[in-house]
Amino acid sequence: MVITTLAWIVIGLPLGGALLLSLWPGEPDRALSRAVGVGTVATGFVLSAIVFFDLLSRTPSHRHAVQTLWQWINVDGLRINLAILVDPLSTMMMLIITGVGALIVWYSIEYMAEDRDYRRFFAEMNFFIFAMLLLVLAANFFFLIVGWALVGLASYLLIGYYYDKPSAVAAAKKAFVINVIGDVGLVLGALLIAKTFGTLDYASVFSQAPLRLGSGSFTAEMICLLLFVGCAAKSAQIPLHTWLPDAMEGPTPVSALIHAATMVTAGVYLIVRCNVLYHLAPYVSDYIAVTGAVTLLIAASIAIVQEDIKRVLAWSTVSQIGYMIMAAGLGLYSEAMFHLLMHAFFKALLFLTAGIVIHALAGEQSLNRMGGLHRLLTFASFAMLIGCLAISGIPPFSGFFSKDEILSTAMAAGPLGVVCGTAGVIGAGMTAFYMFRMYFRAFGGPERDGGYHPHPHMCGPAMAIPVGVLAVLATVGGFIQVPGGWHLVTTWLAPSLPAQPSIDASATVQWITSLVSIALAATGIAVAWWLFGAGPERRLAYADKLRGVRGVLLAQWGFDEVYESVVIEPGRELGDAAIRTAEPDLTQGIVAVATGTAMVTARGLHRMQSGLVRTYAFAMIAGAAVVGLIVVLAR
Amino acid sequence: MTLTGIVDVHHQVTGVPLSWYLALSGVLFLIGLLGVLTRRNPLLLLLAVELMLNSANIALVGFSRYWNVSDGQIFALVVMVVAAAEVVIGLGLIVAVYRQRLALDVDALSRLKG
Repeated sequence: MVITTLAWIVIGLPLGGALLLSLWPGEPDRALSRAVGVGTVATGFVLSAIVFFDLLSRTPSHRHAVQTLWQWINVDGLRINLAILVDPLSTMMMLIITGVGALIVWYSIEYMAEDRDYRRFFAEMNFFIFAMLLLVLAANFFFLIVGWALVGLASYLLIGYYYDKPSAVAAAKKAFVINVIGDVGLVLGALLIAKTFGTLDYASVFSQAPLRLGSGSFTAEMICLLLFVGCAAKSAQIPLHTWLPDAMEGPTPVSALIHAATMVTAGVYLIVRCNVLYHLAPYVSDYIAVTGAVTLLIAASIAIVQEDIKRVLAWSTVSQIGYMIMAAGLGLYSEAMFHLLMHAFFKALLFLTAGIVIHALAGEQSLNRMGGLHRLLTFASFAMLIGCLAISGIPPFSGFFSKDEILSTAMAAGPLGVVCGTAGVIGAGMTAFYMFRMYFRAFGGPERDGGYHPHPHMCGPAMAIPVGVLAVLATVGGFIQVPGGWHLVTTWLAPSLPAQPSIDASATVQWITSLVSIALAATGIAVAWWLFGAGPERRLAYADKLRGVRGVLLAQWGFDEVYESVVIEPGRELGDAAIRTAEPDLTQGIVAVATGTAMVTARGLHRMQSGLVRTYAFAMIAGAAVVGLIVVLAR
Repeated sequence: MTLTGIVDVHHQVTGVPLSWYLALSGVLFLIGLLGVLTRRNPLLLLLAVELMLNSANIALVGFSRYWNVSDGQIFALVVMVVAAAEVVIGLGLIVAVYRQRLALDVDALSRLKG
């Protein structure tokens, strides 16, 4: 079978599942919801794997297939086809989405078992998977935007999953509004591409771009900047990052799948997909690298003071995507994708393990009411430890390979690369600190005052097995790309990345960067153990001493306050003022004048309506006679 | 050019002259018109309207013969179809009014006035 047909089936399965579950009359059997919800995604993963091996058996230059179902739009020469592109990059994304997605949906069987809207959850998860697959498999910018908007909708629906909780509804609204800002940028970027190249197909845009746009030309920079607005909103980069921590209001599997492993990395995917365009826009690329570096530092600093276990992970997601965006901005596309893959493993692992803890503590998410869980939830403790070691970049866990590859290659990518790489190394130390702060406060130290009632229970196999699989992947996954050894990700992605610069850090730089970042990470872990490993006395003393810094960090650097006072408040006041002044005078005034005129005219005219049919007949005949007379006389 | 002018130009046409048709048509039309304006019974009103329609038909047929083209005759047939439809609706209305036990007087049926 042709691989593109398989890819269409991979897209179609979750869509069919979502439609089946949402259109099923009445509340379907839970077993059916489960089977459809997990089955479609798992089958999708198997088919994706077949596609992967099929591509693998070809020579690298032939790992590329486009299939058009039909022409969607043909306006004034701009043809847009419903088409998908199967190439190494989209196949890699497809494997991540269906693979990690299947594990997370499987996990949800037990995590959501007590939920009354079982069907809705699986339907919306399937819908998300469909939208995300459409996003990564689209062969043109049009369907990329369609998928982009649909994942935004899925994210909105799933953040607001607990719709009777005001904070969840507010978070969903916030995520949607900020993502729409990004969508506007993306659409404008696509329009500029259509105007410049007369097409939206990746293949022809990317083949024309180097010929028609000069490096650093205004059009190239503008296209890339507009596309990056979309990336920044979707991937929670400063200044459009504030929605992601609030998005933790959704169920934990949703946070793991959408707000950690897949959807929020769509921005990275888009930059990597458009590597040819970004190669032509050095200034915007530099801006992107700086944005990534600033985001990773600020997000890491905020993660240090979060009390909610899921918000720690949310800020760490923002920070880790900062690494990827920084790498993509520096032109290190395959390194960014490698980190994206590793991040999908260890961040999904971290979220799902946090879900086990939350599940065991009956919905408790605050680190203040945890502690000493290692003895009670040993499995979760080890899984979380693996996740923390992986994200902190401790060898031989997966995060070490991907993060250090970004950092050491950045060091060889010019002066800006050195600055960004340094920021990344510092960020690595902060990452280790805040992750182990979370670990020690949840699992280490004494049990919380009064102990746990009811007693925390170990999760069942449906939750444990996906976590176990992810733990294995987070442990050994990094070995697919080893510095000085083999580079499977880079080699695999090479056909999709014509603009990938061949920057090779010297062995010395690699060693120094690795050793420094490992040393910083180890220091971070040690400080975290010293501060948080024991009881709360020491950390409370320091919290008191560092009240000023903590204040800034707890306020999350004031982004929300600034938006509140600069955008939201003026908007609300404008609306209020309009209701007070423009509404009664202008809007209502026009309507009042129109209705008043109609009333007066009607009052005048209604006298003619006597109701006497013979009068009407006479008027008609008299009128006809007058007209006839005029005609005769006029001759 | 006036109507009599046309008649004068074609006065050599044999048979009944056009002016006779037109005279009959005009007389019938006037009778119908007076009926519409003076009668209050809807049935008689309908009769009067039929009279006016048929006076127009006579004029059409007369012109058709005069010019020796069949358009007017076909048009007269169309007018008959329309008249039949109109009678159906008119009689239907009259039956409906009668069933409501209202007076069969068009002046009294003025509830839809403005």
